[in-house]
Amino acid sequence: MPQTTIYVSPRSLGAPDRRPPAVATAELARLFAGSPALAGVTMTIQGGRAIALLGPNGAGKTTLLRIVSTAIRPSYGSVEVDGLHLNRDAAAIRERVAYLSHATGLYDDLSARENLAFAATMIGTPDAASRVARALADVGLEARAEDRVGTFSAGMRKRLALGRILLGSPSLVLLDEPYAALDVDGMTLVDDLLAAWREVGVTVLVASHAVGRLEPLLDGRVVLERGLVVDVHGEGVKHVPPAPPAAVRPAVAGAAR
Amino acid sequence: MNALRRDASVALAVARKDAIAELRGRHATVSTLFFAGIVLLLFGFALGPDADRLAAAAPGLLWLAVVFAGILAVSRLHLLETDDGALEHLALYPVSRQAIYAGKAIGGFAVMLLIAVLVLVAVGILFAVDVLGAWPALLATAVLGAAGVAAVGTFYAGITVRLRAREVMLPLLMLPVLAPLLLGAVKATAAALAGDPFGELGAWLQLLVAFDVIMIVAGAATYGYLLEDG
Repeated sequence: MPQTTIYVSPRSLGAPDRRPPAVATAELARLFAGSPALAGVTMTIQGGRAIALLGPNGAGKTTLLRIVSTAIRPSYGSVEVDGLHLNRDAAAIRERVAYLSHATGLYDDLSARENLAFAATMIGTPDAASRVARALADVGLEARAEDRVGTFSAGMRKRLALGRILLGSPSLVLLDEPYAALDVDGMTLVDDLLAAWREVGVTVLVASHAVGRLEPLLDGRVVLERGLVVDVHGEGVKHVPPAPPAAVRPAVAGAAR
Repeated sequence: MNALRRDASVALAVARKDAIAELRGRHATVSTLFFAGIVLLLFGFALGPDADRLAAAAPGLLWLAVVFAGILAVSRLHLLETDDGALEHLALYPVSRQAIYAGKAIGGFAVMLLIAVLVLVAVGILFAVDVLGAWPALLATAVLGAAGVAAVGTFYAGITVRLRAREVMLPLLMLPVLAPLLLGAVKATAAALAGDPFGELGAWLQLLVAFDVIMIVAGAATYGYLLEDG
C-alpha cells in the first residue's frame, strides 16, 4: 500500500500547548425522547492529541461525536471546537472537522470516484481530480474506482469513507468505530492513518471497542458510562466531574463550614 | 463574488449528483411519467368520449397530472439522500444551505420540466388539443409551473424525508400550498390554447413568476433548518 497523503491545515500546525483546546465541552447533555444519552460531560481535549473514547454500548460515545461534528445539537451545555462555539459558529466548525460515522453517507448509484469527486467539490478541495485519485489509491480502491458503490461490501464502503476524509485538511478528525467491517489490511490502513494524523498534529477522537489495538496509537483515553465520563487517562485530556445535584450542594457547603 | 461562485459550484455538484443517480437508478422519472400517463387516461375515461368536453378540461387535467407526478418525483429525488446516512453527511459539508437547496431544486426542476413537456405532448395527442400552435406560451407556463413545483417540493420533501409516513405527509403539505400555482398554470394554459382572446395570459404568467420567487426565497431561507437533525 502506498504511503498515505495527509493534507495539513495551518490550524493543525504549532505546538499543542499553544493552541486552544480542540474540543471543550461544559455540562454537555443530550436527551433522546427524554432519556439522557449524555448526562453532563465537562472535558477538554488538547489540540494535536489523539484520544480514544471508550465505553460499553450506549455509553454516549457516538452521541458525543455527533454533537462535536455538528450533526446534532446538545440539549444542554456547550461545546467549543478550536475555540469556536457550536451554536454560533457551526459553519466554521464544519470547515475544520471530518467525521467518519457508522453510516458512510455514500451514494449507491454513484461510482467510488464520483462519490469522492462530489465530496471534493463540497469540501472545496483544490486540484480535486488528482486528490481524488490519490485518496482512492491510499485506501486501496483504485481498481474499483469506476464501480458503483451499491456493489461494494461494508468494508469497502468504510475504506471509501476514509478516503473522503483524506480529501480535506481537517484539524479535528472524529472516527466512530473505524475498525468495524474492515479486513486486516483495512485495519492496518486505519492504524497508518491514525499515526499519520498524529504525526502532523491533527487532533483525533476515536470511539472504539478495540482498546488493545488503539492503546499504542493514541495519547490518552476518555471512558464513558451511561452518558458520564468515569475515567480519563493520558496526555491532552482533562475532565471536570459534574457538580453534585442542586439539592445536595447546601449540605456539602454546610459541612465545609 | 468568490462566495457566489462557490455556491454555484456546490449547487451544480448537488444537481449533477442527483442527475447521475437519476439516470442510473431512474428513481423518479420513469415511475412518475407512468403515473402521469395513468392519471390522464383515468381522467379521460371519467369524462367520457365527448371531444369538446375533453378539450375544455385539458388544461386542468394537464396540470393535475403534472402536480401529482411532481409530488412523486420530488419525494423520490430526496429518497436518494436516505442512502446510508447521506442526508446527515450532506448537512456536514462546509457549504451554504442555500446552495444545497438550489442544487436539489435544480434537479427537481429538470425532472419536473421533462414531466410537464411530455405530459403536454400526451394531452395534445389524447385530447386532440393543438399544443404546437401555442407552444411559446405553453413552454413558458411549463417552465414557470415546473419551477414552482420544484421549489415547493424540494422544501417539503426536506421536511418529510426523515418521516416514516412521508408518502402521505408530502401531498398533504404540498397540495394546499400549490393551489395558487395550479390556478395560475391552468388559467395560463387555457388562455394560451384559446389564443388569449381576453389578454389575460400575461397576468397569469406574472402570478406564476411571483409564486416562484416567493417559494424559492422562502425555501432557500429555511431549508438549512430542515437539514439539522434536532
